[in-house]
Amino acid sequence: MIDTHTILTGFADALTLHNLFFVWFGIIVGQLVGAIPGIGPVMAMAIAIPFTFTLNPLPAIGFLMGVSKGGLVGGAIPAILMNTPGTPDAAATTLDGYPMTKKGKPEKATKIALYSSVTGDAFSDIILITVAPFIAVVALKMGPIEIFALMVFAFSIIAGLVGDSMAKGIVSAGLGLLCATVGLDPENSTPRFIFGYFELYDGIPLVSMALGMLAVAEILRRMARIRGTIKSAIVIPKAQKKADRGVSFVEFWACKYTILRGSVIGTILGAIPGLDSSAASFLSYATAKQASADPKSFGKGNIHGVAATESANSAVAGANLIPLLTLGIPGNLAAALIISALMIHGIQPGPLLFQEQGQLIYGLFGTLLMANVLNLVSGLLGLRLWARVIQAPESIIFPAALLLCMTGVYLATGGLFGVAVMFVFALLGYLMSSFGYSVIVFVIAFFLGERFELSLSQSLNIIDGDLTILLSHPVALLLFILAIVSAIWFGLKSKGKPE
Amino acid sequence: MKQLLSIVVLACIMVLPSLGHSQEWSPKGSITLQIGFGAGGSTDIMGRLVAAKIEENTGWNVVVENKPGGGGIAMFSSLMREKADGQTLGLGVSMPIFLNLASRGDKIPFNIDTFDYLATIMRGEIGMVAKADAPYNTLEELIAYGKKQKGGIAVAFDAKPQQLVLEPVAKNAGVKFKFVKHKSGAEQVQSLLGGHVDIACTAGEHVKYIESGDLKMIASMSKDRQACSPDSKTLIENGFELYLEPYFYIAAPKGLPENVKATLAKAFDEAINSETVKNSLLNSMQANAYNLGPEGTYTMMSQGAVDIKALVKAAKTQ
Repeated sequence: MIDTHTILTGFADALTLHNLFFVWFGIIVGQLVGAIPGIGPVMAMAIAIPFTFTLNPLPAIGFLMGVSKGGLVGGAIPAILMNTPGTPDAAATTLDGYPMTKKGKPEKATKIALYSSVTGDAFSDIILITVAPFIAVVALKMGPIEIFALMVFAFSIIAGLVGDSMAKGIVSAGLGLLCATVGLDPENSTPRFIFGYFELYDGIPLVSMALGMLAVAEILRRMARIRGTIKSAIVIPKAQKKADRGVSFVEFWACKYTILRGSVIGTILGAIPGLDSSAASFLSYATAKQASADPKSFGKGNIHGVAATESANSAVAGANLIPLLTLGIPGNLAAALIISALMIHGIQPGPLLFQEQGQLIYGLFGTLLMANVLNLVSGLLGLRLWARVIQAPESIIFPAALLLCMTGVYLATGGLFGVAVMFVFALLGYLMSSFGYSVIVFVIAFFLGERFELSLSQSLNIIDGDLTILLSHPVALLLFILAIVSAIWFGLKSKGKPE
Repeated sequence: MKQLLSIVVLACIMVLPSLGHSQEWSPKGSITLQIGFGAGGSTDIMGRLVAAKIEENTGWNVVVENKPGGGGIAMFSSLMREKADGQTLGLGVSMPIFLNLASRGDKIPFNIDTFDYLATIMRGEIGMVAKADAPYNTLEELIAYGKKQKGGIAVAFDAKPQQLVLEPVAKNAGVKFKFVKHKSGAEQVQSLLGGHVDIACTAGEHVKYIESGDLKMIASMSKDRQACSPDSKTLIENGFELYLEPYFYIAAPKGLPENVKATLAKAFDEAINSETVKNSLLNSMQANAYNLGPEGTYTMMSQGAVDIKALVKAAKTQ
């Protein structure tokens, strides 16, 4: 196949000062835009692409990959510190990250997020470098029917997150799915629930929904509680022990199975084009909770919750490159941008890429590994800064965060309409959590709803009433059976628990 | 040929500024180019490429703004209310606009005549493609094969007009097409390579796979045959009077002053036909830059709207 000479020259190309500079610059940009709600790495990459023409392909792609990787780390920071996911991928990180902050351990939470993120990313990069062509062939076998079965399976696991009242959980999930149907239907492009707003043709904007439900609702709640004296937004006890500020190796090692599980889930889902990283992080979170000896502590600031989501969503980033580099198929929007950037430089991702551009690909692999290290270093430096920022008085922090959410949504959705939608969802989120309906189940159902509906419609059209076709899809059948088993098993498990 | 063309373009660039200098218009402040799709899509990248080139050529400041929603409907609905001073322009794709005007025109605040047209950037070439090892090579063979399959042929598509064009083909030929909607050309290729569908309708995404020998073209859905597979006949050559040609075009609110229109049209033409933009389009979208100019764009838009309306009507009466 590819000789060692190509591999070594490729890696040597990566390890130049010039390349290092651009990758690092990309990571800093990525962490910054990732941490600002609404403005994500995807937008930064889209804006940067025309400027990368003047660069050589390797630093250009390295820069863009840096933005994408940095964004994954950056997105978790406001999710943990302010319940505000900086990018939609980080929505699941709010589940345990923010409770940890409320307990006065924001530094610990952000650090474990960074470590898990970098570990998950490195794991999937190594898988990419070693066995990409093999995985890509397997992933291709995941067609619409298999993806539908996978979504059903995911729902059966996520049902474990519903909480105490099954009825309320089902209402939340149903509402989320209902909101996901807004817009053009996937089959005939008939507008649904748009009430005359063309802006809703493509559905409710994801950023508006996520920031409204999670961030703005929480900001409003906190602002409503401000009474007289001005406090810090987050109080970190002065006498806090060093152990509560950082993450010791023992603690990190205790999360090893959680992180490994998250990395594997992220890598598998990332290799299948079309499933985004939020699905991976929710799935990883739900399985970590099920596997835990103390599932009740999840959602109340369990360090495993943060480790699970961050390792999974970062593992998606590396794994997304598997179908991209081997088949030329982008797994998500960030990957699609990398493809455009490669193509603009005259490089065709696809079946022939490894033969034609071996040196560049190994250069890119070297760059990815370098980016992981840089991500860790800049992340650690950045966290010190963020930890200081959130100790500012809450009368400053919350209005500033609200302003950031508004500008971010304005930019991401191209106008004030998205901002209005964000406030509608803020109100909905406020009401839902006040009455004990799970906001997070709503968000998950919304995130997965679109792909769920599309793959259902695709499967129905392919099957066309002939159920025997299912027999030629063993993977789908297996996933359906697993879904039933897990639903029954989790059902029994929760029944067996004392009230 | 290419060299000759670039010499001509160069000559134009050098000569034109000296001509008609008196009526030259230049924008006050920056020009906003609104894109009817989200950041990061192919339309967005195309817009940013052209905008960057115009800035380089003219020294104007061109700001790109994304206004996604409804395949461009949201952006054009607000663009129509902007001042016709050439400072606010829109980049859209013809097919979704035609389809929406044809199927729910009464609910859409604009029509083709609501805008002035400045240029087209390129024309998408849609191909009907199959996996290289499929037991058919042409549309005729596909139809013969389809007649023997009682389950029908699974056809991937990502935009409604593709289905509208292929429905009459299936009906006339007496085969059953099962239409499976996808979100993008890349996802169609994925389903095709994985063996989940038999046929896909892709706009350019097929080219690199045809070159690598993984896919083959069954028929060209454009008016003409395509460069990547010159032996594959068009639908028209196969006896079906149907074709699809999505254009990426630039429009402005109606009533641009003549000198503004001429200056902008020239700026776009120079950018679209520049080597950078041409090469980038060829590399990234496998398509040639193709500018119809202001009048040509208007003719294309009017004709296309009529054609798609007829298709939608035909589909409804079936």
